Amino acid sequence: MSHETNTLLIPLHVSYIENLGKNKNDLIYHLTAHLRMNAIYWGLTALCTMNHREALDRDEMIDYVMSCWDEETGGFGAHPDHDAHILSTLSAIQILVTQDAIGRLDIDRVVKFILSLQQPSGVFAGDSFGEIDTRFSYIAVNALSLLGRLGDLNVEKTVSYIVQCRNFDGGFGSRIGAESHAGQVFVCCAALTILDRLDEIDTPTLSWWLAERQLPNGGLNGRPEKLEDVCYSFWVLASLSMLKKVHYIDSDKLISFILSAQDPEGGGIADRPGDMPDVFHTHFGMAGLSLLGYPGLVDIDPVYCMPAALIENLGLRKGWQSLERRMR
Amino acid sequence: MHGVRRARQTQEALEAKRLKDQSKLHDYLALSDDVLARKKQKDWSREALRSTTQLLQINPEFYTVWNYRRHILVNGIFPESTPEQIKDLLKDDLSLTMAALKIHPKVYWIWTHRGWCLNNVPSGPGVDGEGDLRGWEKELWNQELFVVEKLLDADPRNFHAWSYRRVVLDSLPVPKPETSELAYTTRKIESNFSNFSAWHQRSKVLSSLWSTGRLDQTKSKEEEFDLVQNAMYTDPRDQSVWIYHRWLIGSGDNKEILDREIAVIQSLLEEETDSKWCMESLVHYKRLLLHNHAALVDKSALTRNCIHLLEQLREVDPGRRARYDEIELEITRL
Repeated sequence: MSHETNTLLIPLHVSYIENLGKNKNDLIYHLTAHLRMNAIYWGLTALCTMNHREALDRDEMIDYVMSCWDEETGGFGAHPDHDAHILSTLSAIQILVTQDAIGRLDIDRVVKFILSLQQPSGVFAGDSFGEIDTRFSYIAVNALSLLGRLGDLNVEKTVSYIVQCRNFDGGFGSRIGAESHAGQVFVCCAALTILDRLDEIDTPTLSWWLAERQLPNGGLNGRPEKLEDVCYSFWVLASLSMLKKVHYIDSDKLISFILSAQDPEGGGIADRPGDMPDVFHTHFGMAGLSLLGYPGLVDIDPVYCMPAALIENLGLRKGWQSLERRMR
Repeated sequence: MHGVRRARQTQEALEAKRLKDQSKLHDYLALSDDVLARKKQKDWSREALRSTTQLLQINPEFYTVWNYRRHILVNGIFPESTPEQIKDLLKDDLSLTMAALKIHPKVYWIWTHRGWCLNNVPSGPGVDGEGDLRGWEKELWNQELFVVEKLLDADPRNFHAWSYRRVVLDSLPVPKPETSELAYTTRKIESNFSNFSAWHQRSKVLSSLWSTGRLDQTKSKEEEFDLVQNAMYTDPRDQSVWIYHRWLIGSGDNKEILDREIAVIQSLLEEETDSKWCMESLVHYKRLLLHNHAALVDKSALTRNCIHLLEQLREVDPGRRARYDEIELEITRL
């Protein structure tokens, strides 16, 4: 393993993120406009984790977020003139909360938009076209709690749908009947955590299933017999953190794996060693390292995937477990 | 982005690529600006539809344009069309999404649009023209089953395809019996024991067949144990089978089955002496014996045996030793 990639190359990753918005002459930048709001949340949070949030301009960011407001629906799109969707709406809220700019938001309208997406079954749709997914249930619960409006939610209906998504392996899927997948496990655990319904989780079985996501190379996969991927360093680890079983996996090996997925030339972290980095994997790899106690990083709240101190100040911190921050 | 290798490129190569992309970028932005401008003006024309086709063929992840396309169809084109024309327009979109799925089989927006098409098929005659009001729906939903099977042949673990399959099965105007879905999971499992998605589907179908009494649970479970045993012996390293087996055992209230399965796994462990899955399962099942049938077992022997297995587990699977430590604490605390 290259000597360059057994430590976290923070300055390189900071400049990687700084440069992301400067690629306006690249085709790929425009082909991913539908992800822009999410990408800004990923970039901002990764910078916060590295304690370098100042690397992106706050006012420019807030203006961008507000330029994505869809006045007709009362939500946010991913990019100006893109339709509102629950995915970009959460990212927008997370960015505004992180930047302490929540006052820019018409909270009543956003709450109305989010609540309008709940289906009779209790699950949430992503937009008026009705795609349903437990990811959207989590987004609704997360967003409403950040806005201090969890009281407006029909909790029983929300929880009841999630519980019906529980599978024989203790995990959760995207809809009733769907296979357990670490991403869906994360969103269901996090939603149940926020709603204080962890009693609905079969902790021994699920924490076993999660522990078995670690492969011999130290990386984590999302389902049995699939490939390792840095983003599962967050989905799996955060779930274990909420279940207070972070010690069930080998943290040294996972740290090595994440570090080996860094791009030592241009910065950023990829899905696995040798692949091209992107801001999504940079953010989730960084968040995973933070939960693993990697030195020099800021604490991240696994339930919200936002700075822990911020979540604590909002009175939203739940009883999760992370590894002690190592000293160098 | 997933699975894209990092390539060391020279400055010249990068520049050449950037130049080549410039005209693509220019065209793309022009097209994108045009489509979004039309959308703002609520242009529901056929010309607008064609522009969205062009744009979506380049970028099928542009969710706003899928939304716009649906608005064009519903507000502009469907109102001027006969039911048969609507059906044909939807078939065009099924072709469009099929071509997109072949290249991008995991893009949510494409699957969503496909589902929307199916849900908007109007009442009308089918292929035989026999006057069956659900004829077109039957034809197209049956075709969906075929489409999903092809995609699952290409990638048997594609969870989008499995989710869509469940939607199709629920939506078929003439439902297929659940036993036929059970047979489908058997085919998938027999072609590759390592297909957890198929085992998962099987667990759902069986649960339903058992709870509705359409399959006798006791007899069916015995058949499952046979199937699983076969899979275990074929490849003891595959975790799908072990996770499924644990579900079959359940709470462990049937001592006879528990004893029998423990014996089966014990034999396998004698052949595969490093098998972490054998050891892990034996510990779990022996704990179930201790928990459920304490009066009928030799508690201290079982406990010692579990501790010995946990020692071996720490050796063959050191990364997860903290969990084995925790289990040992729980066992000895009893």
